Amino acid sequence: MPSLSTELLVIGAGATGLGIAWDACLRGIKVVVVDQSNIAQGTSGRYHGLLHSGGRYAVTDPISAQECASENSILRRIIPHAIEDTGGLYLALRTDPADYAHEWQRACQEIGIDVEPQSLDQVLRREPALTKSISQAFQVNAASLDSFDLLNSLSHSIRKTGGQVLLHHRVNEFIIEDNTVVAAELVSELDQTTMQIGAEIFINAAGPWSDQVAALAGVKIPITHSKGTMIAMANRLTHTVIHRCRPPSSGDAIVPAGSVMIIGTTDIPVSSANDLPIKPSEIDFLLDQGEELIPGFSNRRPLRAWSGIRPLYNPLHDDMNSTRGISRSHVLINHAETDGISGLASIFGGKLTTFRLMAQRVADFVAQELQIDDQCCTDTVPIEPEEKEFIILSNRTTRLLPSENNARDSVICECENVRRSEIEAYIQSSDHFELDNLRCTTRLGMGPCQSAFCSVRATGIAFSSYETEDLLIDLTSFIDRRWRGTSLLAWGQSMRQIVFSRRLYLELLGIQQVSGDKS
Amino acid sequence: MNQEFLPTDHCLKCNICTASCPVASVTDRFLGPKAVGPQAHRFQHPHYELPDVSEEWCSSCGTCTLVCPHDVPVAEMIAKMKERPNREASWRDRIISRPEMLGRLATRFASIVNPLINSSRVRAALERYFGISSKAPLPTIARTSLNKSLRDYYVKSPNRLEEISRLTVGYFHGCSTNFFEPMLGELAVVILESLGLYVFLPPQVCCGLPLQSNGLFDAARKLANKNIKLLTPFLREKIPIVGTSPSCMLAFKHDYRAILGIDTEESNLLANSTYDFFEFILQFVPEEVNRISYRKVVAHALYHPPCQLRGHGIGTPALTILRRIPGLQLEVSDFACCGVAGTYGVKSERYQVAYAVGEQLFQKALAMNVDFIISDSETCRWWISKHTKLPAYHPLEIMARSMGIIT
Amino acid sequence: MTDILIIGAGLSGLFASILAAKRNADVTLVSAGHGGLSISHGCIDVWSKATSSLSLSRLKKNHPYRIAGKRALNIAMEAFEDIMHDASYPFSGSLSKQLFIPTAIGSLHCTAYAPISLAHSQMTKGTPIAIASIAGLRDCFPEMLVKNLRSNGYLVERSISLSLPGSEPYRDLYSTDLAYRFEDSAYRDQIAQLWKPRLSGIHCLGIPAILGIELFEIPTPPPSLPGLRLEQVLFSTAAHFGVNIILGSSAIGRIDRSRKLKRVSGITLQTPSNSRQLKAQKVILATGGFLHGGLIAHRDGSIQESVFNLPIDYPENRKALLAPSLFDKQPYEMHGVRVNSRMQPLDLKGEPVYENLFSAGGIIAGADRQSEGSRQGIDLATAQRAVEAALE
Repeated sequence: MPSLSTELLVIGAGATGLGIAWDACLRGIKVVVVDQSNIAQGTSGRYHGLLHSGGRYAVTDPISAQECASENSILRRIIPHAIEDTGGLYLALRTDPADYAHEWQRACQEIGIDVEPQSLDQVLRREPALTKSISQAFQVNAASLDSFDLLNSLSHSIRKTGGQVLLHHRVNEFIIEDNTVVAAELVSELDQTTMQIGAEIFINAAGPWSDQVAALAGVKIPITHSKGTMIAMANRLTHTVIHRCRPPSSGDAIVPAGSVMIIGTTDIPVSSANDLPIKPSEIDFLLDQGEELIPGFSNRRPLRAWSGIRPLYNPLHDDMNSTRGISRSHVLINHAETDGISGLASIFGGKLTTFRLMAQRVADFVAQELQIDDQCCTDTVPIEPEEKEFIILSNRTTRLLPSENNARDSVICECENVRRSEIEAYIQSSDHFELDNLRCTTRLGMGPCQSAFCSVRATGIAFSSYETEDLLIDLTSFIDRRWRGTSLLAWGQSMRQIVFSRRLYLELLGIQQVSGDKS
Repeated sequence: MNQEFLPTDHCLKCNICTASCPVASVTDRFLGPKAVGPQAHRFQHPHYELPDVSEEWCSSCGTCTLVCPHDVPVAEMIAKMKERPNREASWRDRIISRPEMLGRLATRFASIVNPLINSSRVRAALERYFGISSKAPLPTIARTSLNKSLRDYYVKSPNRLEEISRLTVGYFHGCSTNFFEPMLGELAVVILESLGLYVFLPPQVCCGLPLQSNGLFDAARKLANKNIKLLTPFLREKIPIVGTSPSCMLAFKHDYRAILGIDTEESNLLANSTYDFFEFILQFVPEEVNRISYRKVVAHALYHPPCQLRGHGIGTPALTILRRIPGLQLEVSDFACCGVAGTYGVKSERYQVAYAVGEQLFQKALAMNVDFIISDSETCRWWISKHTKLPAYHPLEIMARSMGIIT
Repeated sequence: MTDILIIGAGLSGLFASILAAKRNADVTLVSAGHGGLSISHGCIDVWSKATSSLSLSRLKKNHPYRIAGKRALNIAMEAFEDIMHDASYPFSGSLSKQLFIPTAIGSLHCTAYAPISLAHSQMTKGTPIAIASIAGLRDCFPEMLVKNLRSNGYLVERSISLSLPGSEPYRDLYSTDLAYRFEDSAYRDQIAQLWKPRLSGIHCLGIPAILGIELFEIPTPPPSLPGLRLEQVLFSTAAHFGVNIILGSSAIGRIDRSRKLKRVSGITLQTPSNSRQLKAQKVILATGGFLHGGLIAHRDGSIQESVFNLPIDYPENRKALLAPSLFDKQPYEMHGVRVNSRMQPLDLKGEPVYENLFSAGGIIAGADRQSEGSRQGIDLATAQRAVEAALE
């Protein structure tokens, strides 16, 4: 069995895991990050897109709020290319509890979160689509953060600094000697081969799967799974992040993200990391919430719905009815202390906005364990992106026509303006071609037609570089996944899109035949 | 911002519009209606400029909106993108979009202007210094404009019409009929009167469509609001407005609201009270129309429904009449656009494309060996006539011939 | 007042308008936009996907083929072939044999009738062929075609890339762009010169559908030329036979309340500017299914027929309209308007809702057109039957 040896093994390449690896790399620690799947398949890739101002937690969770506020400015410094500075508005509607807005404003001020009251006039001039029945409005420092770009950039930066990111490898066993974890055995999701990685420290940052990973070492962690459902609307209705100024509840944030707008989210306790199915009632609920902030919202076209599982820290295991009241604070559990198993620590909880801070705490811990003096510098060192165009709205529309120094670059995904050169660059840098990963990297297929045209085009481009059978299987599974995200929205225009895509794939192209599926 | 384009949501990217676009099929400079319309619209942002999406190549023929099965107002979206401040428009565009001004000046000096327009030296200079293609047809200026020859028909206020018991209709002539083809206006009035209607000319100004097509929305709106103001008193008395120029009529029926954004009680009243000539007579005086006895017009003709007429969404009412004329062997053009699309084909930088759009139509007309072309829109007539060397008539003229009003 | 008003200019509406006009009726065809032909392969699928051949008696009673009847299907296909022949766009095929047409990705689409340029691919099984891709045509996948055609038993020797004369285009080309260029004989001469040397040793060429000449063509993703050609032929033929075509306006059904009999009086035509009445003796509803708005799926789970609000069955739960996987059979295919043997829409008791309202095409319930491969056959057969019944 092939094996590898390193100082730090991080399990989970979400924002937390990659953040830890990045921090450790900068301190000169040898790191390997592993993930059972591809980048952005976990919670970080199913994200709302919000760079918190901190306001949301000001009243209920001031520690989290403080952390969000300071991390907000740090992230703007270190990864500006993944952030669209939309600004944010907190709106209390006439039907919302009147005193909450005051309480909230005061709490923000105490924490040091910038809150600027706005008049109704100012708000409506800025965002004419909003409801007029706003009783109070405040401007905050929220923004739109693209997690795909973040994860890809982190991954790239880690590799550039000497770390390793090993994808499609799931930990299926820990090798424990003298109550110390010394190695992990991993199995490849792609070809089922196994390998071993030995390390001095193992960090379990597997998000919703953390309990499964912990179980491999025979330990339990106080984790609760909470499902959050989000809907992407086909078009932006505002260019600003809109928050509801009321006690934090479901469906109270609308975030512009790339060329779409995301409304979320729900908060439903679920039993496991894979419990993702969405009920029509969740969809209806979110659309109705949106309607309260933006009249006509529920008649606009929803593009797709998805859910992510939050891994929350819950020491009170018996409170399963609502996860809303649980702190979003993260927790680092050193299993040497809690369970007598050395060399393993688990980190979970938190939110994407504070990933760097969580990572810092873990990296401090790791440095201490390894007796390394280097301090964290992730708050100042920028996270470099790969050479490619970015997904922020303004950049999406560059170069639609050829210019003098730019030859024509075929537009493969017309909805999101993804070019052939981007796909070729992806192929160059990837041993393994996965349409869903291409989607996360370039936004291919994320527009109104949900990859009706571009999935086949991209596969066609990849055809000379990879095993064709694999590509065809990937194509059919990708378009089926796109289907599942839209089939919950089978009404109005979305229904027409679903019917169109299906007719295109099955009647005009005959895709069902090429992967051996029954027609 | 996005609310007004609720129908952007509707675009399925099916390419039905792109497949039907006459301009996209002849030039790759135009990205296509889907790309320039609903697709580019998703990327519009108040702070960031949209890059060049080639909207200047769109001729505004409206075919894309017509064929879209999902209610996406593609052509309207693209038309709106053309809006620009006055100072950004060239002198040429500012001038050719004001036919009323041009017409007034030109009719005074018709005897000088006409030979000048036909001089190849003048045309070469116009092309070189002014950007008007020397190959594009320009109209002949009438010596006496319609508003002079029919000045007795003008009625300033509906009070004057209170005692008229017959069905009353106001005729909107438009700049072209007024200054270039006044005979058409006279024929329209004669025919309407022969059908028992009381016809008058309400106060009116240029419909503003050429300004709109050239992106000069503020100026277009001024004219639009003026027309609305002048016509509303009559409309409130339930007096309909009829026109023989489908482009002007489309502006009233549709563009004022959908492109210039004038959505008021009055603009809606205007839209609901405006009719194409043939639409009007078939709907309002069908029995009188059925009683017309037609003389033989022995000819083989090609009828080309203008793109602006198709935009009315009423089919081709002129055909209903033309088909009743004995001896007239009719072919119907199924080309969506002849290419000129108003002022589009006249511009030297667009002429090639405009010609290419119409080329197959010209070839078909010649191959069919027809005697003449029939089309409701003046620019279509001049354009097709120029490129086929065949005479071109408004369906009114053929109708008038068959009714014995003219020979 | 028009004799027959047809609502919807898809395959069934266009076909019905021609049939009625040929029988000297005064026909008006109203449509809010084009139908789905440019998204289709331009062939006539009668009974393609199901493994057993079409035996009407084995179909459920409410299947549109069963309701329209075998006779109507036969007559419809004959009429269709005649129309195409007269328009110099002949089809090849029959009701008793299957044709296999390569798709843009190299799978085989089974159909009953195909235009000659597509059907030509039948001749080539067994002969070595080359697949051509055309520079600048984005929706062209030569390697996929080669691989999948080979798996489907074609002897594909190789793929070749053919360039176009002239400078590099400013944007990606659609199949319609190329088709337009090929209309020009001077351009075709240039092509011949450019391509001839590349084609030596090739007996038969499979090429994206842009030429319309004797080669075998492959339909591209939308805009699909064979579908567009069929659409154009139908529009021209309809206009030629005097159908009054009104495009760009939608229809709202009007009920005739003046008599005791349940009748429709025509429609309110919603033009871009206003609405006006269109009266008709008989109306044929050919508005299709969900794709182009004949049926509207509402968020509350109900399904509405968009012109006359005819009664439609729908499941209790919105979720039940779709199966979990795109590749499964989909319940939504089955929903629509129920009709009797005179193609009259029925109410929940099984009685015709209006005595002068008929229906044809995709809006009719009772058939999973995708699984059966019966979409165009049902369009034509039901259109034939509807016109017969309307003119009785």
